[in-house]
Amino acid sequence: MKTVVVTGATSGIGFEVCAALLKSGCRVIGLGRSAENARAAEEKLRGCVPAGDITFFHGDLMLPSEVRALAVKIKEELEKTSGGRLHALVNNAGCVRNWYMTTPEGYEHQLALNHLAGFLLTHELLPNLLEGGRVVMTSSGSHRMMRMHWQDVMYERRYRPLMAYKQSKLCNMLFAYGLNDRYAGLGLRAYGVDPGLVRTEIGSKNTGGLVGFVWARRKKHGVDPSVPAEIYARLIGAETAPDGLCHDIRGPRAASRQVGRRNAERLFELSEKLCGIKFGGIESCMS
Amino acid sequence: MYVLITGAAGGLGRAFANECAKRGYDLYLTDISGPGLERIGHGITRRYGVRVLTRQCDLTRDDDVAGLFDDAAENGVKFGMLLNVAGVDFEGGFRERRADELLKIVRLNVEATLRMTHKVLNYRAEGPFYLVFVSSLASFYPMPLKATYAASKSFLREFACALGEELRPLGVRVLTLCPGGLPTNDDAISGITAQGFWGDVTTNSLEKVTRRTISRVLKGYSIYIPGLVNWLFRLAGALVPRPLLARLLYARWSGAQKEWLTV
Repeated sequence: MKTVVVTGATSGIGFEVCAALLKSGCRVIGLGRSAENARAAEEKLRGCVPAGDITFFHGDLMLPSEVRALAVKIKEELEKTSGGRLHALVNNAGCVRNWYMTTPEGYEHQLALNHLAGFLLTHELLPNLLEGGRVVMTSSGSHRMMRMHWQDVMYERRYRPLMAYKQSKLCNMLFAYGLNDRYAGLGLRAYGVDPGLVRTEIGSKNTGGLVGFVWARRKKHGVDPSVPAEIYARLIGAETAPDGLCHDIRGPRAASRQVGRRNAERLFELSEKLCGIKFGGIESCMS
Repeated sequence: MYVLITGAAGGLGRAFANECAKRGYDLYLTDISGPGLERIGHGITRRYGVRVLTRQCDLTRDDDVAGLFDDAAENGVKFGMLLNVAGVDFEGGFRERRADELLKIVRLNVEATLRMTHKVLNYRAEGPFYLVFVSSLASFYPMPLKATYAASKSFLREFACALGEELRPLGVRVLTLCPGGLPTNDDAISGITAQGFWGDVTTNSLEKVTRRTISRVLKGYSIYIPGLVNWLFRLAGALVPRPLLARLLYARWSGAQKEWLTV
């Protein structure tokens, strides 16, 4: 039985991805921020898919210490159930902010949660993923028409909430590109998903201000989260890993021209520095 | 130049720490939360090439504060700037709060700030010295349901204004920051959201407030009220008789608080 870890699994796209994966017979480990929401989501999923094998852990992915603690719990669970093998990791948890807000490390929220949290979790679970594992990022079509704001990645000179969001989604694509670049030789495959406009609560959770207001109106035009969940199920369920980096509901799409080796390497370096970690090269993973 | 920041692990403190590090200042950070200090210390060290020292400290305790300055002296640190950020408020009316909570507001916002300010002047580096007090837009008004907090912040503003004049010959520059709402954490966001439109327009962005505060104290300004709307509010507040002002504010806050509880 294939095991898949899904972050941000208590609502929206993450929840539906869990449901779709359970239906296809995967074992799912869901992550949520609060114990209460995690419990509720677990119960609801049991109701939807009674035969499904679902476990939930909770923790705040904005805190690197909690990401690490969750990774330890996941590894223990994997040892018990699948001999340590993780078939796929879905880095889906994300947020939208109207104002410049920082994590305890002083990092901007959208970059920290939408990109760095997944970066760190992937690093921690990399040994379990090698040899055939897949990493799927919830990116967005909005990563197009966007460049990395390298001179001020956290938008501290003047906060532009939508730019910071789009940049974090470009980071997802670049991270997927970087993972493929480095670890494809070991059978790891990474993807960025463009779910389209989806009716979720992402812009209504502590977002505030104009961005929260606009999202409350915009989300009504979105599709049900079970629609994009099909993309994830397809990428994870396929026997051989599908080609292409960026996928939407119709299949593989071209990613932005910004998604290339130079930006990917630069982002890897920056993210490693911000997380205080170092991704091993292929050699170190083989030994 | 070393900058001493109190309440450095909180939302505003972290933004100030980032701003100062970006300007190339070395940092001496203190907060009541040890783990919080460690985290912001890591974040700053990873991003900027400045020296960062941290010291966990309860500013309401004399011996803790004495220990902090002993530690600074041992490390050969002399300060060029103090940012008095540490402060506390407990939401709810006078009768809904315990007496020790109300006293804590005074002990931290007023007493501890005086203690730090008095002490730091003995540990100044050569050259000009900069002092920043974090007051609030609330300091201009009688604020029912936030009476103790607002009064503690008016103390700081009045005190800072007078102290600035007194210390001018020593080359000390004093600035009082009087921000409206600041989106420092999830609670602050839900508070701002509960106030609706007026919450949004009186909210100041952290990155701008911190940058301009530092720029202005360096230029010798004595007060900084960020945001045009807040300026107008401050002006209007000066024109309306205070008992009437208290009545208006009570109506507004009791409404906002009711809504807040249902968010």
